[in-house]
Amino acid sequence: MKQTLTLLAALLALVTLSAPISAQSGPLRIEITEGVIEPLPYAVPDFIPTGSAANEYSGNIARVIADDLSGTGLFREIGREAFISQITSFSSPVQFADWKAINAQALITGSVDVQSNGQLVVQFRVYDVFAGQELGDGLQFVGTTAGWRRMAHKVADAVYSRITGEGGYFDSRVVYVAETGPKDAKLKRLAIMDYDGANAQYLTDSSSIVLAPRFSPNGDRVLYTSYESGFPRIYVLDVASVGRRELASPEGEMSFAPRFSPDGQTVVFSLSNGGNTDLYTMNVGGGGANRLTSAPSIETAPSYSPDGSRIVFESDRSGNQQLYVMSANGGESQRISSGQGRYGTPVWSPRGDLIAFTKQNNGRFHIGVMRVDGSEERLLTASFLDEGPTWAPNGRVIMFTRETQGAGGQANLHSVDISGRNLKMVRTEGAASDPAWSPLQK
Amino acid sequence: MSTGHYISGIGHVGLIGWLLLGGVFDRVPEPFEVSEVSVISGEAFDAMMARSDAPQTATEVASPAPPPAPEVSPEVSAAADSPPEAAQPEVAEVSEPDPVPDTSQMTPPVQAEVEDTPPVMEQPSEQVVALVPEISVRPQPRPVDRVAPEPVAAPEPDVKVDDVVREAAKPQEPAAEPVPEQVETAPEEATTEIVTEAAEKPSSAPTKSMRPKTRPPALSATAAADKPADTPATKPAEKPASSGTKDAVADALAEALGGTSEPASAPSGPPMTGSEKEAMRVAVSACWNVGSLSTDALKTTVIVAVGMSENGMPEASSIRLLSSSGGDDGAARQAFEAAKRAIIRCAKSGYALPRDKYSHWREIEMTFNPEKMRIK
Repeated sequence: MKQTLTLLAALLALVTLSAPISAQSGPLRIEITEGVIEPLPYAVPDFIPTGSAANEYSGNIARVIADDLSGTGLFREIGREAFISQITSFSSPVQFADWKAINAQALITGSVDVQSNGQLVVQFRVYDVFAGQELGDGLQFVGTTAGWRRMAHKVADAVYSRITGEGGYFDSRVVYVAETGPKDAKLKRLAIMDYDGANAQYLTDSSSIVLAPRFSPNGDRVLYTSYESGFPRIYVLDVASVGRRELASPEGEMSFAPRFSPDGQTVVFSLSNGGNTDLYTMNVGGGGANRLTSAPSIETAPSYSPDGSRIVFESDRSGNQQLYVMSANGGESQRISSGQGRYGTPVWSPRGDLIAFTKQNNGRFHIGVMRVDGSEERLLTASFLDEGPTWAPNGRVIMFTRETQGAGGQANLHSVDISGRNLKMVRTEGAASDPAWSPLQK
Repeated sequence: MSTGHYISGIGHVGLIGWLLLGGVFDRVPEPFEVSEVSVISGEAFDAMMARSDAPQTATEVASPAPPPAPEVSPEVSAAADSPPEAAQPEVAEVSEPDPVPDTSQMTPPVQAEVEDTPPVMEQPSEQVVALVPEISVRPQPRPVDRVAPEPVAAPEPDVKVDDVVREAAKPQEPAAEPVPEQVETAPEEATTEIVTEAAEKPSSAPTKSMRPKTRPPALSATAAADKPADTPATKPAEKPASSGTKDAVADALAEALGGTSEPASAPSGPPMTGSEKEAMRVAVSACWNVGSLSTDALKTTVIVAVGMSENGMPEASSIRLLSSSGGDDGAARQAFEAAKRAIIRCAKSGYALPRDKYSHWREIEMTFNPEKMRIK
């Protein structure tokens, strides 16, 4: 009986597969639900120099663009040794067949010129090779020769945006805590660098401990916590002039974990008074503090939603650290973390759809993301110590601190795509921790 | 007392007395043998025992036969055993010491230049001290750049149970032919899922194995090259655009009379089978790369129309977006461009579609639904 049923089922399947679809009318319809996820192969020949003064920038700009795109994990550069044809003129038509033959799905061509007034002019075009057409119109950037890396980052941002459909993050900077010395006597100072580790500069000296730097929404100022006065206090630093001032707070109390509101006018921070830590806001220009929470527990690490209407923070009011969301004006809060372990340092995505966090569970630390209602929690990393996530301006990449185990271990910056792929270390001159990603530069 | 009792008593007393006293009066002593033994030192005994071989064990032991009684007692040598000869180590010939090198002519090594560059951080190798699990861990797919569904090979057919063991009949191997040199190729490395670092922990093996998937029908887009060459390789030249009223009237007349080359609205002939449609679907899927799409584009389903030439090649200029859902215009445009690239890339020399059913696939509508490919 069983064999008979099996035989009948097989016959039915065979008939289903081979029988003509008698009801077909109109065009053939096919639904495709499974594809592949692989880096998109592209080619970026050296930009065409229009004068001898531009020769040194020709290859350098192409290299920075390639490093930016390939560093995302979404693109794969095809080496120039595979090129069949060469780009000899920026305005000449592209031989798409030659680029198809090496499976280059995108082609980036450009020219670079140093004008008599010393200005650098960079032009570029992006082609969809298999469609045989240009992706968008050609663009031109004008700047100083000293800013050639920024111009290359801007080209890469434009290419990234045209192919993926979302904003780039290459023309951005990262402020972080540069660490020197042994693990038990670290010297810490603020530093700033391009997102890829280039052009690193120190913003403070190492005379006092500094913590938790945070960019303003337009990237011109940095909030941070310093032990300069003996107690942790909040300071505001102007990036251009490196001038700083202390944010007013009650004497003898500890204030820390500051973060700007999306409009840049308000600062939310933690204030510790008499053993109790609560959240407060105050105008960045000064004035009185407005208390947001009043629980007899520790509330800290606040972060605004992109629209400025809500704040996510961590609290141990339930017995251990969990994540809560409340109105930006305070009031009732709602717990959003529900998994096992402890959650901390939540950061709202600039796109507003996700919250990144640090999780400690079973002796390991993770960087993860969850929806703003706490659903769809995904852990992206796992190590001895991962903490302090910060979002790229486009909400696609997260940078964080990873510290290695042991007396010789040190902290370094890492980044990971929100899909969990492309985990890699960010190049810095020495040990580094507590990164904060700036918005895209103007 | 009867006489018999007296006789018995006297007899027994006499017998006992003979047994007790009879030997006393025998003056000839019984002969006895004297054996001389030698005394050896403890060191000699230890040396002798040390050289004895270890007893060998046997798994099967024959029943022992009773040993024959020795007729003559073994002679025991009175001489002391000679001490075991200890193996003398071979004395290696000692060569003369090397002459002391003359360092007066030597130059000190050049100090290597050490760059003050930050060390590259390596992941600490975690040593896990644990009992060996009794069950094997589920193999984790290696994280690679390419994530793609892969068909699972069909299991080998079961052996038919029979009393007589027979080997399967195999076709005779053809005569060896010279094989031209060719470059070794392999499919691109891929995994079927995104493995994050947090998910790399091995898990326990399943209690039972998964049922293998059926193998999708084999398809190669390049198979079109093997088709008979009698079909036209190129599309007939397009009709030149008509101009002027006279041409327009002539065109309208020709169209009314059915002389136009435009395709009929309803396909004719034998329809497409499910497996033929499935082959087309698999072919396009292999080139539909969503790895560089934005998260919004990954939420967007697009329906794309494409006109096909009779040789199985898509006409790039005919590929157009019919509709989209789930995303804004920008996301729809990105999703459409990815779909367009997939259709063109995997065509290569033409999709393997049945020529006799061209009227059915002259126009194809493809729905690209990325729901299974989203970041979850």
